[in-house]
Amino acid sequence: MTAPTWVLATDTALLTTCVELARGAGGPVTVVAAGPRELADAAAAAGPDRVLWAEPEADRPAESLAPTIAAAAADAGVRVLVSTVAPAARALLGAAATAVSASVVAGAVALSVDGDALVVERSALDGAVLETLATAGALALVARGDEVAAPDGAPAPVEPLAAGPVADLRVVSRTPVGGASGVRDAERVVSIGRGVRAKADLELIGTLTSALDAEIACSMPIADDLGWVPKERYIGRSGQHIAPRLYLAVGIAGMPQHMEGVRDAKVVAAINNDPAAPIFRTADYGVVGDLYEVVPALVEALRE
Amino acid sequence: MRVAAVYKWARGVDGATVHADGTVQWRVTKMVAGEDDHAVLAVAQALAGDSDGSVVGLTIGDGDASWALARGVTETVSVADAPSLTDEAATAEILAAAVTSLGGVDVVAVGDAEEHPGVAVALAGKLGWGVVAGVTRAAVTGGRVAAVRRVGDVEETVSAATPVVLGVAAEAAEPKAPGMKELLAARKRPVTTTTLADLGLDPVDPVDQRGTRVPEVTAARLFDGEPADAARALVAALRNEGVLR
Repeated sequence: MTAPTWVLATDTALLTTCVELARGAGGPVTVVAAGPRELADAAAAAGPDRVLWAEPEADRPAESLAPTIAAAAADAGVRVLVSTVAPAARALLGAAATAVSASVVAGAVALSVDGDALVVERSALDGAVLETLATAGALALVARGDEVAAPDGAPAPVEPLAAGPVADLRVVSRTPVGGASGVRDAERVVSIGRGVRAKADLELIGTLTSALDAEIACSMPIADDLGWVPKERYIGRSGQHIAPRLYLAVGIAGMPQHMEGVRDAKVVAAINNDPAAPIFRTADYGVVGDLYEVVPALVEALRE
Repeated sequence: MRVAAVYKWARGVDGATVHADGTVQWRVTKMVAGEDDHAVLAVAQALAGDSDGSVVGLTIGDGDASWALARGVTETVSVADAPSLTDEAATAEILAAAVTSLGGVDVVAVGDAEEHPGVAVALAGKLGWGVVAGVTRAAVTGGRVAAVRRVGDVEETVSAATPVVLGVAAEAAEPKAPGMKELLAARKRPVTTTTLADLGLDPVDPVDQRGTRVPEVTAARLFDGEPADAARALVAALRNEGVLR
């Protein structure tokens, strides 16, 4: 199986992970870097055979290049496409998948070849199961996985991608959100959800943040509906995306919108009185119990 | 603008049971409203409101199509015999054919679902339209769609010419679900039903499932029992991980 494989990248997240996944197809691996030169250089160091670099015009988002990249993928006879879940990268994937008549499969964690078939293992049902899928056709994969270190060795050559048609998309504003709340760079974060019953109970939570030397954060309703914690401290899809060493969720159910904000945390621990709470499916550690009993016990245990 | 709001186009994760041997049993096979569908409708209604336009609902499969009618949409179309497919491009192909058959659609708003992140972008590919994914809200400005999304620590507004597909991501749960009265009234309103044959489609899923298994690590290591014991066990585990001071 020597058909070319393309990784479509619009940022540096999971670049090496995507290249390693793409290697499973057995063919040469090209990263198509849609962005600034720094992205192309990072892609070159991520272990591909070569990089095709396209830079969007000023004020245009990376996905404006989708028609160009899709046409180039068809010309090159690409059989496997890989992107991360990043919105811009997926936009490129959707266009290219159509151009090469590829099936689209999300949550891909491993890829291999079995005769003429491409075999992909993917995470499904919120991570509850790994599913093995096979197709005789072309395949476009949305990759899932953890960040891995770039390989040693010389960077791959970077070649320009010939200009082509672009989609009529323009970035009209970019506004920083979040501010300098301290939660973004914190090593440890204690985050509260609806399990905390009253604003006065923040005092109890404060004893835990002090004992852990942690910053406080929260789920969206605590900041948005209740206003107990400043808005720049809420974690989730539309809030802060953080990568602390420890994220301790107190009374948080763990809906997908929330968990998206802590995907890069090293360790996630949770306190919840419901053993069936979704957060226990993604957390590393959990205490099942009443937070009003567990938090004081935890403070005590930290002092021991 | 005529905005198609796509809803109830996938089965719900909650409808599946994963057994200890890794096999999956679908207890609920109907298509259900996705976690982003209420936000899809909100974006569609905002765009229609900004432009004196209209919203048309679009659903596939055998779910209750009145979901959109109970939420203020007056016209909705159901491709009732569309199956659940593994290949997200094949699902997108059904949606694309349905959008084309609606005629005159300027914007398609569809959930940018975490479980199915390929559908919105593949739909744009099939239609040959531009796409903005990860959108949380949108407005009409100067005849174009201004779509707002979060990129890292930046809120970005992308201006898109129509026709365009918006992959919409909900920021939170639906703020106010319709009451029983609205739901019952909606079920009496007409739904336009179409079929795959009407759309000239005979979908074949090119992706075969070879099996499923339970991942090695699926759940948290849980400490329960007396709070003091559970707390000590958690602290010991976190120390072991090297994440405490």
